[in-house]
Amino acid sequence: MRQWLRIALPKSYMDRQRRAGFLFVLPALLFFGSVFLLPLAQSVVHSFYRTVPGGGSRFVGLRLYEKVFTDSIFWAAVHNTLHLLFMSVPTVVVCSLAIALGLNRIASLKWRNVWAAMYFLPFATSLVAAALIWQWIYHPVYGFLNYALSFVGIPPQKWLQSLSQVRPSIAFVNVWVRIGFDTMIFLAALQSIPEEYYEAAGIDGASAFQRLRHITLPLLNPQILMVCILELIFNFKIFDQVYATTQGGPASASQTVIMLLYDTAFKYFRFGDASVMAVFVFITLLVVTLLQWRIFRKPVEY
Amino acid sequence: MRRSTWVTLAVLAVALVVLALPSQTPAQQKKIVMWTHWDQNPEFNKWYATKGKDFAAKSGFDVEVVTVPYQGYEAKYLAAFMGRSGAPDMFMGMTHHWCGQYDFCDKIPDDLVKTWEANLPKYMVPIGKWKGVRYGMPIEHGNFQMMYLNADLFKKAGLNPDRPPKTFDEWHAAMKKVTVLDAKGEATQVGFGLRHAGHPVGITDKFLPFAHAFGARMLSPELDKATGFANGPAMVEALTFFGNLVLKDKVASLTLGTPEDSFAQKRAASMFRESWFFGWVKKNAPDINFKVAALPCGKACPGAGQLFPWTNLVYKNSPNKQVAWEFFRFISNAKDDLEQHQLQGILPVWTVNQESQYVKSRPDYQAVKDMLAQPVPPNYFHPKSNELATAFGEAVVGFLYGKGQPKALLDEAANKMDRILKD
Amino acid sequence: MANLPETRRVLAGAPGKAAPRSLTLRRAYTRWLIGLAVACGAITVFFPFFWMAVTSLKTPPEIIRVPLQIAPDSWFNLNNYREVFQREPFIRYLFNTALVASIAALSSLVVSSLAGYGFAKFHFPGRDAFFLAIVAILMVPFQSVVVPLYLWVNRFGLLDTYLGIVAPDLVSVFGVFLMRQAIEVIPNDYMDAARIDGCGELGIFFKVVLPSVKPAMATLLIIKFMWNWNEFFWPLVVVNSPSMRVVTIGLMSFTNIYFIEYNLLTAAAVISILPILLIFLTLQRWVVQAVVMSGLKG
Repeated sequence: MRQWLRIALPKSYMDRQRRAGFLFVLPALLFFGSVFLLPLAQSVVHSFYRTVPGGGSRFVGLRLYEKVFTDSIFWAAVHNTLHLLFMSVPTVVVCSLAIALGLNRIASLKWRNVWAAMYFLPFATSLVAAALIWQWIYHPVYGFLNYALSFVGIPPQKWLQSLSQVRPSIAFVNVWVRIGFDTMIFLAALQSIPEEYYEAAGIDGASAFQRLRHITLPLLNPQILMVCILELIFNFKIFDQVYATTQGGPASASQTVIMLLYDTAFKYFRFGDASVMAVFVFITLLVVTLLQWRIFRKPVEY
Repeated sequence: MRRSTWVTLAVLAVALVVLALPSQTPAQQKKIVMWTHWDQNPEFNKWYATKGKDFAAKSGFDVEVVTVPYQGYEAKYLAAFMGRSGAPDMFMGMTHHWCGQYDFCDKIPDDLVKTWEANLPKYMVPIGKWKGVRYGMPIEHGNFQMMYLNADLFKKAGLNPDRPPKTFDEWHAAMKKVTVLDAKGEATQVGFGLRHAGHPVGITDKFLPFAHAFGARMLSPELDKATGFANGPAMVEALTFFGNLVLKDKVASLTLGTPEDSFAQKRAASMFRESWFFGWVKKNAPDINFKVAALPCGKACPGAGQLFPWTNLVYKNSPNKQVAWEFFRFISNAKDDLEQHQLQGILPVWTVNQESQYVKSRPDYQAVKDMLAQPVPPNYFHPKSNELATAFGEAVVGFLYGKGQPKALLDEAANKMDRILKD
Repeated sequence: MANLPETRRVLAGAPGKAAPRSLTLRRAYTRWLIGLAVACGAITVFFPFFWMAVTSLKTPPEIIRVPLQIAPDSWFNLNNYREVFQREPFIRYLFNTALVASIAALSSLVVSSLAGYGFAKFHFPGRDAFFLAIVAILMVPFQSVVVPLYLWVNRFGLLDTYLGIVAPDLVSVFGVFLMRQAIEVIPNDYMDAARIDGCGELGIFFKVVLPSVKPAMATLLIIKFMWNWNEFFWPLVVVNSPSMRVVTIGLMSFTNIYFIEYNLLTAAAVISILPILLIFLTLQRWVVQAVVMSGLKG
């Protein structure tokens, strides 16, 4: 409390510094507080109320939590989401890092821009359009993928209509969509690393791998952490692509938590249950992000 | 502060005001707004606005039609209705959801009720009603499945496309004849294009004709119980028959994509779809020589059943609802009904229009008549229909994908459905 | 691991020495190989767009023809594009989307940079907690806040307005994250020097901090612009009049509950990507220029 008073009425230089810092952050805080905090609070409140036909609601305490957490469909959706996550996130982080490293080594600026633009293009497409186009490519009969595979003797696969292949197929589309975004971030960061560091390593006789390990990766640590956190969050919340294509099928193999949330709220008219799911998503992501932040963040002094 | 800062702030302020301006100022021509998510029928939707011009001459109110994308429409409708001031005056939706689950609909005035009930085909009378009160006016006739068959493929298999199978046994035999298997025993051409992908609600919708043909029903007649009905012996029989089309008889397949695509591609000799479908076939596969016939009957007949009865509704809290009802009175006549539907190439709703030249010239004319001659099947117009159909559909898909046996899957589904109903 | 004396020296701040010639030759070869790998990856990633463009030149029967034909019957079949513009006022949609995305990008840039600076270089009570609170916004599923958000926007009369469309996107969590990372790297001496010179905090922000993070700023602008370009759910809920619609809603009008009109959808998708591609290529050049000019390398 005393600290806040000193921010409002600064007495020393350090207090003025603190106040300045807080004021810089204030606009963002105010915006998020008003735009998201209130609806989030309302959502949490809703999780304790049950909607009844006629549009009203009744307070039921923790009963909805019990209902959702004992529902096998909910846990199946969580399982699907986690499976997608484990396939998408490591792949996209590693691939985009590799691509950024590769792009950084290209001497010709023109070509670097061309390839970078191509990698980035998926990010420039609306998720829904991209998903629909991929659904077309994955089509068992008309799709290009089976057509191409037929030339190497692989029989037509069911892709989005196969219980076992649907999630990897969607994960691949996820990686395709997000790779440009992460590559851009890594590339911008790589371009800020002074060339001398590498040349010094070259004089030391360090191999490429050693250069990567001792210079690049440590210096890129903040970006890697940020990308990991963001990718985890975005892939956990995956909705548009799945909703536009498989709609959770086949046989609910691709139903994600957010899809179930949308259906529960808007198709089944059960807002209380949907709010419980929202709280679950929020808490899970919060815990995971906190863990990532604590474990992997290495503050570097400049 | 410096002058440039003031200038910047002033520019920002002006920009904010400009951006906050609504696209149309309120002091404009009065109008009533109609929302619809039937985005595959643009001509049908536009007609409301065109006809609205005549209406404006009489009443001073224009009619504006807003087509909302189907994906996400539930959220948009709900937000708007809860927000009141941004809500439409009229909208298209399912009565048992917006008037049953929620209380967003205005009762139809009595004179209009009489007009509609006198002119609707018999099977459509329950559509638009909730607990005996009429809120909605149906807009789609022929929204029940019929048999589409590829005449050429049938002829090639030695069947007569002009005498389609009338019973499910005949149909089953025909399917076997028209299926072509390759050396490995896999079907390159199936008799029946079966829907197995997508949202479980759609799966249920496509399976119900089979269920009804076996004399089964998904819920009790009062729509309050699922156990004993969704998992009753007739339903188990129906699901076994349905699943075996893929699993044992190989007259249907899970590897051929959607039924529409495989039918258009001459890989499926027949499929079940609604009346509007032949428009799609004509556009996307014009070289297919198709015929439309009534669904075959088993113990009972599938009849004209549907899970998605679309109706026109009026928003209860609309300040212009009297004008909206005036507009509906204005267009609730046989001529306009025919004109609007003909524009889009779909079936008109009013009984008197069923013998018009336009309807007589449609390929599905006889099939529709035959379907209507069948007894009306059960309907499931319950506020929780989405959730119930989803739970049920999961059992159907589960069997198709080998996740269990019909009885066990249906038991589980019935359990879930009862829980949903009791909730 | 091997001791790297020279590396440690340079990392610690000493100036570097030139590299021997044999190293540069080997580097040129590996560079070429890497370039090839990157190019192959890029072409693979690009392939669906090629497919999309090609499909947009086909008629519906051509699209479902089997066996598959990559090339359309006629490379000059622009009927789909014609029909897209006929059915929907796509030019207007493009304009709306460009406007909304620009506002969101600029606004995000300003507010996120300010916040990023505050988080990166200042210590005030609750700093980490506030930062986590901002990142936590991302963890809220948008579907669960869309109705309350709509009701608030409605209360302020912002339905169907540009401000209403842009409202939830005026500040970007990713932006705060990115700017914080980028600003952290700036040596504290730069700012201390400016303070000693008597510069006010805002002055330091504009004169010292921002010029040093131009690549991150450009990245944020591009990414935020694109992200907003592809927003679907919120504009769907908040926009009613066709004249205020954005491109994504226009795209969805070629899909419906029963089927997808691939010929029109791909044409519309190509139309909606072209502006972004152009913007990206232009801004990319600027990013590189900014890096070179800011003299951040060494």
